[in-house]
Amino acid sequence: MASKIDRSRDIGPFVPQPDDDLIICRCEEITKGEIRRAVHEGMYTMTEVKRYLRAGMGLCQGQTCGRLVRPIIAKELGLAQGEVEMNRPRIPARPVEMKNFRKERR
Amino acid sequence: MERYELVVIGAGPAGLSAAIEASKYGMKTLLLDENGKPGGQLFKQIHKFFGSKEHKAKIRGFRIGQELLEQAQSLQVEVLLNAEVMGIYEENDIMVHIGDEIRHFKADNIVIATGAAENMIPFQGWDIPGVIGAGAAQTMMNLHGVQPGERILMVGSGNVGLVVSFQLLQAGCQVAAVIDAAPRIGGYGVHAAKVARTGVPFLLSHTVIQAEGTDHVTGAVIAQVDSHFQPIPGTEQHLDVDTICIAVGLSPMSQLAQIAGCKMVDGPGGIVPEVDECYETSMPGIFAAGDVTGIEEASSAMICGRIAGLAAAKRGGYVEEDEFQTASAALKASLDQLRQGMFAKKNRGRTDLTETDEGYPLSQSLLKKGFMDPEELTAFPAAQVHRAGIHPVIECTQNIPCNPCQDACPCGCIEVGQTITRLPVLSPTAQCVGCGMCVSACPGQAIFLVNEDYEEGQASVALPYEFLPLPEVGDQGVALDRHGKQLCAAQVVKVQKPAANDGTAVLTMMVPKEMADRARFFEKEV
Repeated sequence: MASKIDRSRDIGPFVPQPDDDLIICRCEEITKGEIRRAVHEGMYTMTEVKRYLRAGMGLCQGQTCGRLVRPIIAKELGLAQGEVEMNRPRIPARPVEMKNFRKERR
Repeated sequence: MERYELVVIGAGPAGLSAAIEASKYGMKTLLLDENGKPGGQLFKQIHKFFGSKEHKAKIRGFRIGQELLEQAQSLQVEVLLNAEVMGIYEENDIMVHIGDEIRHFKADNIVIATGAAENMIPFQGWDIPGVIGAGAAQTMMNLHGVQPGERILMVGSGNVGLVVSFQLLQAGCQVAAVIDAAPRIGGYGVHAAKVARTGVPFLLSHTVIQAEGTDHVTGAVIAQVDSHFQPIPGTEQHLDVDTICIAVGLSPMSQLAQIAGCKMVDGPGGIVPEVDECYETSMPGIFAAGDVTGIEEASSAMICGRIAGLAAAKRGGYVEEDEFQTASAALKASLDQLRQGMFAKKNRGRTDLTETDEGYPLSQSLLKKGFMDPEELTAFPAAQVHRAGIHPVIECTQNIPCNPCQDACPCGCIEVGQTITRLPVLSPTAQCVGCGMCVSACPGQAIFLVNEDYEEGQASVALPYEFLPLPEVGDQGVALDRHGKQLCAAQVVKVQKPAANDGTAVLTMMVPKEMADRARFFEKEV
């Protein structure tokens, strides 16, 4: 799916929208405008946007905002939602304090 | 590292059922849940479930939860709570965060039954206190006895939105409206009807565009949407509410299946692991059951869980092939019964259905307004009011998998038959004695007893009543129609609340005879 992302294509300039201040990722307080701008700065995938902005890296680990970020990226790129691949979930699946790993029992 | 023959992740209806089934056959089973209490969403479900007896129909969800916990306990299923599964590594090495440490468990088989999480829709102000998920509303009301707010806007008319709206009313909250962006009500008509008859308006093709307020919700702005679900300028209206409750669907929490390397499918219902007919994923020995494989009802999740548990037991050598075949065939048949009708997974999103399986026209008013027009009801034989003497009037007009009415009637008046999605049929010969058992048994609260010959010029209407304070015999009040509009004066003439009704009182009111086909709720005079 990721292969459908054509980075040579011109997606036009970033045009401000009235609802750009709308918070999309509540955990990390990332707005719609920030996500749209990130796309124009070259972040074409969910993973790129996540690493660039931290959207989806908070308490919910993208369970709530993942399906909200996806259509925003897709629309900005002129793609169907399904053409933007979702984040690949990673271990640890839940946020955990690093100190707990000191007592890792194998 | 401890080794188990089966580790079940998630102690909701699917996970509990899987653990129970597998340990019945002698499997050494560990059940993990990240919450402090087992049961998943079951303990928030105070309504009666649909289905037939084998699906625990007409039993309230939290009682089913208690039953499952007792079974798991008697089978000595080991349960670890507050145990967050962080990941599944190669060879079924499960990493778990418990307390302040990380532990690893090795599993011969795994059942992933992690359920789902609520979807949210973003709108201006959706992040201020007072905008809550329907699940949170249920947690506050049904687990902690706290009202989420005084006046609530419900966003979403699926079964969750409808059931929670009713529970909000039961908790003493006002529901300002139930809105949905779709042009028709998504959940069961009977759930909508019991909310509508208390006077709650349904606004279809509407969405919420703003939560007003700065540090808490002080109001909501809703607007009509076009066929592309875009708000139509100029249709905005303000609603006086202090809480906005969001019930716009659920998304499977399938991350662990993906982490484990299971083949996933990315569809409209979310990302789910691909499973075979025994709920085994593409990874041998890793099963997935319940909402994590796609959103359904808890009743189906319990059966899916049992099938997965049984298949795991077979894989572990605890079940012989022929025993497995017999047991799994029975479970699949039971599951198949639930997966029929217009709300089944296979029919989800269909808007082309115009008739019931029996060929009766589906009520458009029920889909658009949440209640049926009396004219539409005339098409349904079991809903007829004008008969001699006392008799049931069954306003059940959609094919949903449910048949407790049939078992409830001691006189054999009501028949659903083998296919439990068929609409109930009244026996032409059996005589109703007015016991009210069907009224309280119907999980959809869609059965009334009507007697047009109650007294000279007066009819009696018996209805299910689940609100407090319970009216008493002699109370004067007002009869409401299916829309919740005041219709006429009414007097309570009978209140039945035997223990067998499990909290659903049968309230009989006397109304003028000509109102017998419209009076469907009672409001006490204050």
